[in-house]
Amino acid sequence: MSAEVSTTVVDEKPPARGWPLQLKIGLLLTGTIVLLSLLAPSIAPHPWDTVSMRTRFLPPGPTYWLGTDEYGRDVLSRLLMGGRLSIAMGLGATIVSLLVGVPMGLAAGYFRGWVDETLMRLADVLMAVPPIMLGLLVLAVTPPSLWKTALAVGFVYIPLIARITRSVTLTLANEEFIQAARARSESNWYILFREILPNAWPPLLVEASLRVTYAILLGSALSFLGLGAQPPSSDWGLMIAEARSFIDRAPWIALAPGLAMCLLVIGINLLGDGLRERLDPRLKTRIGKR
Amino acid sequence: MLDIFDLTVRYRTSGGELEALSSISISAKKGTTLALVGESGSGKSTVALAAMGLLPQEAQIIGGTVRFDGHDLGAMSVEERRRLRGSRLGLVFQDPFSVLNPSLTIGSQVGESLIHHRGYTPREAFERAIGLLDEVGILNPKAVANAYPHELSGGMRQRAIIAGALAPEPDLLILDEPTTALDVTIEAQIIELLEQLRARRGLTMLFISHNLGVVRRVADEVAVLYAGQIIEHGATEDVLHRPMHPYAKGLLAAIPRIGSKQLRLASIPGRLPDLRKPPSGCRFAERCPFASESSTQPQTMRMVGGRGVRCANAELVESTPWPTPEATATQAPPRSEQSPVVSVRALDKTFRIGGGVTLEGWRLRRNETLLKPVDDITLDIRRGEVLGLVGESGSGKTTLGRTILRLIDPDSGEIRIGDELVSGKPQRELERMRRTAQIVFQNPDSSLNPRKTVGELLARPIRRFGLATTERMPTRVRELLDMVRLPSHYANRYPHQMSGGEKQRVGIARALATEPRFIVCDEPVSALDVSVQAAIVNLLADLRDQLGVAYLFISHDIGVVAHLSDRIAVMQHGKLVEIGDADAILNHPRHPYTIKLLSAVPRVDARSTSAGSGPPPLQ
Repeated sequence: MSAEVSTTVVDEKPPARGWPLQLKIGLLLTGTIVLLSLLAPSIAPHPWDTVSMRTRFLPPGPTYWLGTDEYGRDVLSRLLMGGRLSIAMGLGATIVSLLVGVPMGLAAGYFRGWVDETLMRLADVLMAVPPIMLGLLVLAVTPPSLWKTALAVGFVYIPLIARITRSVTLTLANEEFIQAARARSESNWYILFREILPNAWPPLLVEASLRVTYAILLGSALSFLGLGAQPPSSDWGLMIAEARSFIDRAPWIALAPGLAMCLLVIGINLLGDGLRERLDPRLKTRIGKR
Repeated sequence: MLDIFDLTVRYRTSGGELEALSSISISAKKGTTLALVGESGSGKSTVALAAMGLLPQEAQIIGGTVRFDGHDLGAMSVEERRRLRGSRLGLVFQDPFSVLNPSLTIGSQVGESLIHHRGYTPREAFERAIGLLDEVGILNPKAVANAYPHELSGGMRQRAIIAGALAPEPDLLILDEPTTALDVTIEAQIIELLEQLRARRGLTMLFISHNLGVVRRVADEVAVLYAGQIIEHGATEDVLHRPMHPYAKGLLAAIPRIGSKQLRLASIPGRLPDLRKPPSGCRFAERCPFASESSTQPQTMRMVGGRGVRCANAELVESTPWPTPEATATQAPPRSEQSPVVSVRALDKTFRIGGGVTLEGWRLRRNETLLKPVDDITLDIRRGEVLGLVGESGSGKTTLGRTILRLIDPDSGEIRIGDELVSGKPQRELERMRRTAQIVFQNPDSSLNPRKTVGELLARPIRRFGLATTERMPTRVRELLDMVRLPSHYANRYPHQMSGGEKQRVGIARALATEPRFIVCDEPVSALDVSVQAAIVNLLADLRDQLGVAYLFISHDIGVVAHLSDRIAVMQHGKLVEIGDADAILNHPRHPYTIKLLSAVPRVDARSTSAGSGPPPLQ
């Protein structure tokens, strides 16, 4: 039995698979939008906040590619600048909810018992708070600003992230490699963050990408209500809010940020899906085996 | 009845086309049982699916025909095939736990096909189901028909599934590993039931299994599959007692047998060829100790002495047995009578199941069931000794193993590992014990973190206990890989890039990383194929001889336990019913449960004559 493994081992790496199509498209969409927004100050064709009465409500044309709004400001420039705020808002909120939700879910799913009960009931309470109400509450007592909106939105999504993490952890905690870790006295910290978390990432990524898009939407809704970005600076939600009254006369003002938001949301979702497929080592080679 | 001729099936996969079956020809005559034998990946399940006309989308029939009672399945429309399946074929799957729909009663599921194919009303079908349940030996058929799957034990469920397969009065019953998920005593009962049914109804059976002992009991003819080809085909007695094809020889030699103790088991080196590009010559040549010049030529099926063999050298090697390896270490060290490595006294563990509170009148009452998987267990394991622990599922074997390692906290009792009393200590003070005592798990897919490379997996315990410096780490990892006979470049692999046997080797290496003196082996070979199992068992035996480690070897496979153990402990319902020297337990069992367990084990080498006579029925 001595030579038994080495004789036949052809070094077979799993067939190198290209990036999934979703990932490519998602990356392209998201990347373009993020890049353009980042470069906004230098590539914006016109100043985003200069009011000019002579150029009000110009339809899209060679000078103003996406037209101008009711104060004569270039819609494209405002769109690019607003993108920064919207993306920052979405990412910020998601990061907040991940930072709190993931450890909560890990602990609840691994320790079970009263830890689980306490954390999950807490999450239930959070989940019962209507997001807009929470936003209103936080922002009503303090002057509104973008980071507070991000914090409020992130806060609202904590229970969702925590629930997903918990359910993934529940399954993983039963795996034998967790027992193996316990059999060498690993600390709970190590088991949660080094053994369980790396395996929990794929479903969490998908969830997080969904959360980014929802956060952008919710953030826009809060801005729409006047609780997020403050004029004259404007994220996409606020742009739509402002353009609402002119939608019959100048539909491009609302359409541009609406479309941009659509593209970003689709892009991020594709990105999340693609990443999950790409990252999960088990998904990669199950196919092809019989 | 069933006639498969020259069937070739390919699967489209991401890595290219995979030839799952190459020119398979088998036929089962009316009223006989044909067994298909092979290891995982050999294509046995594909044959079953083809016989049912149920091949998945990505499968493609390249050539050949499947005929059932003269009808060509390939020429039929989907609807015709469906009708044929519903009325004349019966299928029983491996896992009785996932086949039944948990939210329908047993009776309605058993009678279901009658409604669709025989035009019964649901009421009539239910009545008939009760009759069928009675026929498969279920005691209170009426009550069972009204029960839901979760209320039934595994054996009962498998009986119900068989009843369901019998409902439309089929001519052919296809059984895909019908007893693999069951305990041996239950397995024996199911086999006996199948034999009765065959005699009573004149059923034809296609029986698919990897368990040669079971096959010997039920089959008239055996076809051995290897890498999508039939390599030997003949009467059961012939093939199982005088195999001609080298692979069949190897497979049979690899099975540990109760009562004939060898030092090492024969194993088949290597692994299945890649069926995306099958070798042009003999598919087994790479692993075959008898391979010769002629092995590079494609092998054809030849009739040799009344059976088909796909080997040009069959006659030449007929009388040569498969080589059995010598023990690498000289001899097992003499068992010392000094103080034991592990000593357990009056160990108890109770689980509370359920919980929840109900109002009973005005009082709150906890409704919980108590389960005692470890009930007053006392045992010792000496240095370098293998204590085999057998028992059926649910007897508490795994719980006992984990309680000894304090992965589960005991309720009461005493555990000593080395000279340390570990039962009373809090988890954080168990550092020393954790180094001394390790564990190897059953399921190699679950026991290795899929996100870590083999190198990381092995380095972690070394680092955890500070057993080597960072510079020395790669050397130490290589030593460990070498110990379990894996090449050192495996350190860069992820678990999913290895076969089951290789993963299990890594699992063993990880347990060895802390230089333990005691290892709990929790069903370490149950998830593996026979030939791989033999290699792992040999490895464990070698390591015991080299390092003087003691094992608590937990398994439901009494053959493996008999081969490896110095002493054997038998568990039933959380209690130790018998413990003693392996030979004594195997040859002169005293406790009725041990006797029952031993008599239920299907043995390959038992020389019973007709397939119809089994051991006496069990209560």
